[in-house]
Amino acid sequence: MSTNTYDAIVIGSGISGGWAAKELTKNGLKTIMLERGRDIVHVKDYVNANKAPWEFPHRGGRTVQMEKDYPVLKRDYPLNETNLDYWVNEKESPYVEIKRFDWFRGYHVGGRSLMWGRQSYRWHDVNFEENAKQGIGVDWPIRYKDLEPWYTYVEGFAGISGNRDHVEILPDGNFMPPMEMNCVEKDVAARMNAYYKDHDRHMIIGRTANITKPLPGRTNCQYRNKCWLGCPFGAYFSTQSSTLPAAVATGNLTVRPWSIVTKILYDKDTKKAKGVEVLDAQNNKTYEYYAKIIFLNASTLNSAWVLMNSATDIWPDGLGSSSGELGHNLMDHHLGVGAGGTVEGYEDKYYFGRRANGIYIPRYRNLHNEKRDYIRGFGYQGGAGREEWGRAIPEMAIGGAFKDALSEPGEWTMGIGGFGETLPYHENRCYLDKNVKDHWGLPVLAIDATCKDNELKMRIDMANDAKEMLENAGVKNVQTFNSEPVLGRGIHEMGTARMGRDPKTSVLNEWNQVWDAKNVFVTDGACMASAACQNPSLTYMALTARAANHAFEELKKGNV
Amino acid sequence: MDRRTALKNLALVIGSAALLPRCTEHNPVTHFKNFDVTNDQQSLVADMAETIIPKTGTPGAKDLMLDQFVWLMLDDCTKKDDQKTFFKGMGEFNDLTKKTYNKSFADLDKKQKEDLLNTFEKKSNGYSKELNGFFSTVKGLTVFGYTESKYFMTKEIVYELIPGRYNAWLPVKNNIAAKNG
Repeated sequence: MSTNTYDAIVIGSGISGGWAAKELTKNGLKTIMLERGRDIVHVKDYVNANKAPWEFPHRGGRTVQMEKDYPVLKRDYPLNETNLDYWVNEKESPYVEIKRFDWFRGYHVGGRSLMWGRQSYRWHDVNFEENAKQGIGVDWPIRYKDLEPWYTYVEGFAGISGNRDHVEILPDGNFMPPMEMNCVEKDVAARMNAYYKDHDRHMIIGRTANITKPLPGRTNCQYRNKCWLGCPFGAYFSTQSSTLPAAVATGNLTVRPWSIVTKILYDKDTKKAKGVEVLDAQNNKTYEYYAKIIFLNASTLNSAWVLMNSATDIWPDGLGSSSGELGHNLMDHHLGVGAGGTVEGYEDKYYFGRRANGIYIPRYRNLHNEKRDYIRGFGYQGGAGREEWGRAIPEMAIGGAFKDALSEPGEWTMGIGGFGETLPYHENRCYLDKNVKDHWGLPVLAIDATCKDNELKMRIDMANDAKEMLENAGVKNVQTFNSEPVLGRGIHEMGTARMGRDPKTSVLNEWNQVWDAKNVFVTDGACMASAACQNPSLTYMALTARAANHAFEELKKGNV
Repeated sequence: MDRRTALKNLALVIGSAALLPRCTEHNPVTHFKNFDVTNDQQSLVADMAETIIPKTGTPGAKDLMLDQFVWLMLDDCTKKDDQKTFFKGMGEFNDLTKKTYNKSFADLDKKQKEDLLNTFEKKSNGYSKELNGFFSTVKGLTVFGYTESKYFMTKEIVYELIPGRYNAWLPVKNNIAAKNG
C-alpha cells in the first residue's frame, strides 16, 4: 500500500469537511483531509483573540492599504483589522465577476467555520417540498424525516443553544439552554408575539452554535463576542474546536495543509474516482492521493471548480456535468433589507456582557395558503441595544460636559434585517474562465448570478413588514432600509451541484453521491436543491453526517 | 532700480533666507507615511482635541495622546484626496482663526477656543465643505480615540475582556455604563 493511499479523502476542512472527517474516522476509516491553505492551530494561532480593543492600532478599522489589497472583502463588514489573516489573499486567488458577486472566502484549516455567524436553524418539510409543489428547479430527493435524526445528532455534538419555541415552521432541536433576550428585546418580543398571535409570527432568541454548557475540551460561552477571532474557550462550533479534535483522537486522520486539489482522478473502467491530484501550494509540486471514497467539501463554488476540472476527457465540462447542471443554480440569501427604530423608556436598565447572538423571527410569509406576489419567504435577525448619549445631544458638542456624557448610556434602539430565500435559477451560474489564472496558474471561476423578480418583490415585504412589526411592538421612529441586492453578500452560497432524483437534471443523488461517480460525495452548500431562508450550515452538518455514515455502510457492503 | 531699493530687496532676500532655517528649526516637520506635518500643525490638532475632550477631573485628549491617534488614522485610513482636503481645511481654519481673533488658535484662551469650535456645531455656519470636513474629521477621530482608549474603557465604563456572563436586565446608576461594542 502506497503511503499516498487512504480509505477516504476529504477535500476541504470547513464546517462540512470537518464533519466528514469526523464521521469517517469514527468509523475506522484512515482519512486524509486536504486543505488548500495554511494550518491554523486551535487557540495557539488565534493571535488576536485576547487583545483589548485599544490594542489594535486602528481600533479594528480598515486602512487604505487593506482596501487596496482586498477589493472584494471591503464591500462589506468582513474587512477589518482584527481577523484580516483569516480571509483569502485576493491577489493570489482572483475570480471573474460577470455580474457583481461578493465572494468572501477563507483558505485555511477550518475554513469559514472560524468566522461564521453561527446561527443554526433546522429546515421544515415545507422547505423540502416547495420545489416540487411549485415546479421550481428539481424536487429534493429527501424530506425532513430523512434529516431529522441527523439534525439531532449534529446539534448534540456541535452544541447549539436555543429555546424550544414550538414554532411549527422552525422545528425545535436538541438544544443547550438558550441565551437570554435583554430587557427591551423581551418586552418587544412579548408585544410582537401578542399582536401577531393569530398570524403565526414569533420573535425568539437566536439559536446559535455557541455552547451554554461545557462540552469535552470546550468551555461555555464567556460573552466576549469576539468569535470571529477564534475562541480560546472553544465556545463556538468550528472545525478546530469540535470536529477536528474528535477526528484526530481516533488516530485515523491525517491533515495536509497547503494542498490544492486540482482534480479528482476518475477511472473510466470502474466508473469511480480513484483519488485526487494535489498541487502543493508551497513547493508547486504535484502529488496524487488514492482512496476508496472521496468527500468533496471545498465550499459551494470551489467544489464546482474541482468537479469542472475533473474527468474532462470523458465529460468536457467535468465530472458531474452530464446533467448540464454542474455550476448552475447558484443561490445565496439576499439581505441588507429591514428596519430599525428607537424604544422609549428603560433608562434605568442596561445589560452586561457581549452576547454573540440576537433575536430571530422565523418565516411566516406564504404559509397557511397565503399568496403574495412572490413565492417562498424570509426570516429576520436583529436585536436591541443602547447607544451613548453624547453623540445625540447637539448643545453638548464639545468640552467637559460632552466628555462626561460620552460615558453615559443612551437611547435604546431595536433593528431587524431580513434573510430572504433565493430561487435556483439555471442561468445563475459559475464556470471556468481559462483565460484568467490564479497565482498557481490554475484557471479561475467566472460567476454570473443575480437577484431576479421574485427576490425583488420579496424585498418590498421584507422592508415594509419589518417596519410594521416593529411599530406594532411599540418601537418608535422606525426607518426602513433596502440596499442593493447583491448575491454572495449573504455568504451562503449554495446549489452548484444539486441533489435530485434524476441524473438527467441533478448532479448528486439522495445520498450526495455524484451520479457519474458513486464514490464521490459532495456535502457542502453545492448540494442544495433550494435555499430556504434559514442559515444553512446546520443543514450541511446534518447532510454530511448522514452521507458519511451511508458511505461507510456502502463501503462495508462493497457498493462503492 | 536705485541703490536703496536694491539694498532693501537684498536685505529681504537675505532676511528671508536667514528666516527660513530659523523658521524650520522653530517649526520642525514630522514625516508621516503619506505627508509631512509641522509642529504648528501638530499643536493645532492637539489643541483642538483638548478643547473637544478637555482635561477636567479626568484625563483629556493630551493626556491620552488622542492627537497622535488622529494623525495615525489620517495617515493610514484616509484616502490621498481626503488627506489633501484635510490640509486645505486646516489652512482655512487657520485663516478663520486669524480673521476672527487676529491670533493663532494656540494663542486663544480656553473660552475663545470653545466658542470658535462651537460655531462648527451650527448647521448653517457658512463654512466651506473643506473647513467643516476638517473640523468633523478632527472631532470624529478624537471622540473615537477617546471612547476606544484604555482609560475610557476601563475607568469610565466597564469593559471586561472576558465578561463570562450575560446579564439581560442590569440596573444602571447615573454615570456607569457597560460597553457592549
